[in-house]
Amino acid sequence: MKITMRLIIIIACLLLIPFTAVATAAIKQRFADGPNRVFSGGPLVSGEIYSGPEPDWSFVNTIPTIEMQLLDPPRSRVIWTVEHEAKLYVWSGYMGTTVGRLWKRWPVQAERNGKAILRINDTRYERELVRIQSGDELDGITAAITSKYPSRTTRTTIETGGVWLFEATPGL
Amino acid sequence: MKYFYYVIAVVLVVTILAVLFLPGVDDFVEQTFQRYLGRAAR
Repeated sequence: MKITMRLIIIIACLLLIPFTAVATAAIKQRFADGPNRVFSGGPLVSGEIYSGPEPDWSFVNTIPTIEMQLLDPPRSRVIWTVEHEAKLYVWSGYMGTTVGRLWKRWPVQAERNGKAILRINDTRYERELVRIQSGDELDGITAAITSKYPSRTTRTTIETGGVWLFEATPGL
Repeated sequence: MKYFYYVIAVVLVVTILAVLFLPGVDDFVEQTFQRYLGRAAR
């Protein structure tokens, strides 16, 4: 019994090492100007705020990822994006699984308050995220997504809530 | 066992300092975590 207890303590102590590394890296990223990979970053500080007419968003189709910060809470993350018919879209997968819902909390926060800042090529764009759950435009948007990324996003996954899709509309 | 706790404590402190101050360590940790997280979320 004593040996079993000791084994459990040893395993717990050893597991504490990677846990500490992950927690430290996550906390460190919170104080950074933007995200890195999976951990949320702090507010997007650097980069000019874009002002002017609505940009031609087609340039994002050549960019793998962008940075997105919600105003509430003021945390940023790296996300995929796509342009379709002159509109800009962002989305989150894994929303149909428990781990995914624990991991991806920004879509719920964005649905509550969609005010966001996108940083693309060192320029910040003030946008309002509006969730799209249905409509014929989903066919074109998902086609744009799957042609750009190795994604299994379909109209059905959006309509059933497995993927949460947002249009990044102008303004704040 | 007391010696083991001492070693673990030292390793934890070294881990924290390495992640905070050694260039590239935080990125390596995040990359590794991302790999496992992505697998678990599928």
